[in-house]
Amino acid sequence: MTTTSETATPTPDRAWIAKITMSELERNPYKAYERLRQEAPLAFVPVLGSYVASTADICRQIATSPDFEAVITPAGGRTFGHPAIIGVNGDIHSDLRGMVEPQLQPVEVDKWVDDLVRPIARRYLEAFEADGQADIVTQFAEPVSVRSLGDLLGLQDVSSDKLRQWFGQLSRSFTNAAMTEDGEFANPDGFVEGDVARAEIQAAVDPLIDRWIEEPAETAISHWLHDGMPPGRTRDRQYIYPTIYVYLLGAMQEPGHGIASTLVGLFSEPEQMEEVVDDPTLIPRAISEGMRWTSPIWSATARISKVPVTIAGVDLPANTPVILSYGSANHDTGVYDAPTRYDIKRPQLPHLAFGAGNHACAGIYYANHVMRIALEELFEAIPNLERNASTDVEFWGWGFRGPTSLPVTWEV
Amino acid sequence: MAYTATVDDQQVSCGEDQSMLDAFLRAGVWMPNSCNQGTCGTCKLRVLNGAVDHGDSPADTLTAEEREVGLALACQARLRSDAVVETLGGAAGGGITHPLRDLMATVLGNDDIARDTRRLRLALSEPLAFHAGQYVELTVPGTQLRRQYSLANTADEDEVLELHVRSVSGGAATERWIFDGLAVGDQIPVTGPLGDFFLPPEDSDDGGPMVLIGGGTGLAPLIGLARTALSRDPGRRVLLYHGVRGVDDLYDLDRMAELTTVHPAFTFIPVLSHEAPAQGTAHRAGLPTDLFVDDIDSARGWSGWLCGPPPMVEAGVKAFKRRRMAPRMIHREKFTPATD
Repeated sequence: MTTTSETATPTPDRAWIAKITMSELERNPYKAYERLRQEAPLAFVPVLGSYVASTADICRQIATSPDFEAVITPAGGRTFGHPAIIGVNGDIHSDLRGMVEPQLQPVEVDKWVDDLVRPIARRYLEAFEADGQADIVTQFAEPVSVRSLGDLLGLQDVSSDKLRQWFGQLSRSFTNAAMTEDGEFANPDGFVEGDVARAEIQAAVDPLIDRWIEEPAETAISHWLHDGMPPGRTRDRQYIYPTIYVYLLGAMQEPGHGIASTLVGLFSEPEQMEEVVDDPTLIPRAISEGMRWTSPIWSATARISKVPVTIAGVDLPANTPVILSYGSANHDTGVYDAPTRYDIKRPQLPHLAFGAGNHACAGIYYANHVMRIALEELFEAIPNLERNASTDVEFWGWGFRGPTSLPVTWEV
Repeated sequence: MAYTATVDDQQVSCGEDQSMLDAFLRAGVWMPNSCNQGTCGTCKLRVLNGAVDHGDSPADTLTAEEREVGLALACQARLRSDAVVETLGGAAGGGITHPLRDLMATVLGNDDIARDTRRLRLALSEPLAFHAGQYVELTVPGTQLRRQYSLANTADEDEVLELHVRSVSGGAATERWIFDGLAVGDQIPVTGPLGDFFLPPEDSDDGGPMVLIGGGTGLAPLIGLARTALSRDPGRRVLLYHGVRGVDDLYDLDRMAELTTVHPAFTFIPVLSHEAPAQGTAHRAGLPTDLFVDDIDSARGWSGWLCGPPPMVEAGVKAFKRRRMAPRMIHREKFTPATD
């Protein structure tokens, strides 16, 4: 691993880093990050206005270091507002984790996840299984992901299409990361659609919160209002809204990304696809490899140094943000052989798709089961699924990444 | 020397030279198993603590990485200390098992029924409990060679076992024993039952349509399965394809005709791969797995049963999935007949 000294100003041979563009990263970040891992695994990337960690070692080291704490990326903070669970520390973070975690404990999730997700997956499958063709992303992966979480949150009256629209708007706003040399947002108009989504979300959720304050219900958001509060008091809605947005973006979008990416990976290895279809007990392993291969939360979380610190030979002053590129870390050749290949047979090493440290994803268990049940139902109903070979699958995204569509066909 | 294996709070004594699977099944403790040859991986388990000798476990079925993390093939592994183990997947057949036993049998019949094919009828010294579709092992006299043969019986035919045996050129068990010297009245040891190729318990059998495809003597377990399914539900739709090379390889046609008469929803389809069917017969040409695809538009809600040469079984799995049979409803006999 390269650990040469680095400063905030790119040295001349690192001039290429200053030429990295946002659209290049969104189209395909792997090329730039492969070079970053080789030449500058902890580097200041001007277009992002931030240091970037790109190897598994450095991402894990920073994510778990006591010298760092969480910070939300500037575009993320602009999109969600404060206090979003992914960008806060100390007592507020403890309170927010304590608020969301009880429903996400494995022992809890096991009680209801099958009854929640399986009928939803079946319902969406029934809508198209006689058609002989579908776009798995928009007709299955995304709807199953958003409907499951939507119902869990208590948003039964919000349509799946609306939930999908919201995560798209929030996602593009959250990753509108390009910065000018002066440290300003390069594309401020890019936040408008996030603002529109937030306004719509509040208009839809406020009446529900009004009701749940008076009549607690078995919904996640109702629990967030009441759990751990003194009798007669609830958490302030403005305090929990940023975390609602975290859910409505990441938790809504990413299981869908994971389902679709796992399928694309399996299609790239037809024998492995056949094995997994024939033996559903392999589905969790296929998902784990899918999450490594194309990590849905590719580069959306960050940490900030609390004190001056030297990492991988790079001196970082206190208060230096570092973006953790987990999608890159999961392609680190120091950890994985031929990382660009999807391969369920590779040694099962821990990956960083769900992050690390005390800000690691709180929904790991839930998300893995949503993806598992969705794929179980898909292969049960359509065991003869084939990728529509007349089109290429396009992936998009730097902050969040997954296939934009996945046309498939089958004999009806 | 014996060691104790603990699984799910049950304790089983395992001999030093006894596979864990053998010990478990003899003790009546269910463990998923299918081929008992180390090739299918069905009996893979996790050794939580204790030492095992992996024996002849193939590297393909049990990788070095799996060995490192404590996995073992129960049908191949021998304990080298007391151990605690756990099974990996769900138990097949709802975990209902019949203990593995060694019984003596007397040869009641050893008759030619088709080209290079015999029906062996073995009268047991006492009844053997098994599920239709399972198999037994015979040991070739004077050797350690074990050969697997499926039972054509239903579970209530528990005193006289029926096996279908095809001669293998130079085969130690067939050409040099069953087809040469094994006589009515001979006493031979039988070990069984084994395998997971059997119907779900009656109370969880949904009675859905079934397709069974057998190649050659792969017909044997299907005869037991089809008759069991039809006795549970006489009107059940059951398609039974028997794939052979030529008309001389067909057998049990009268038996099939009788089943068809009693059960109008039962259809028997003899399929010849290397001969044109004679006019006026119900024989069809081709491969049974292809004919199924031609015959049936959708196998949603069906179960599928495959026993025969590996290429036929693989083609069957593909054919069933092409007609959208749920993969969990696809069953295949996984032991591979010996070729020597």
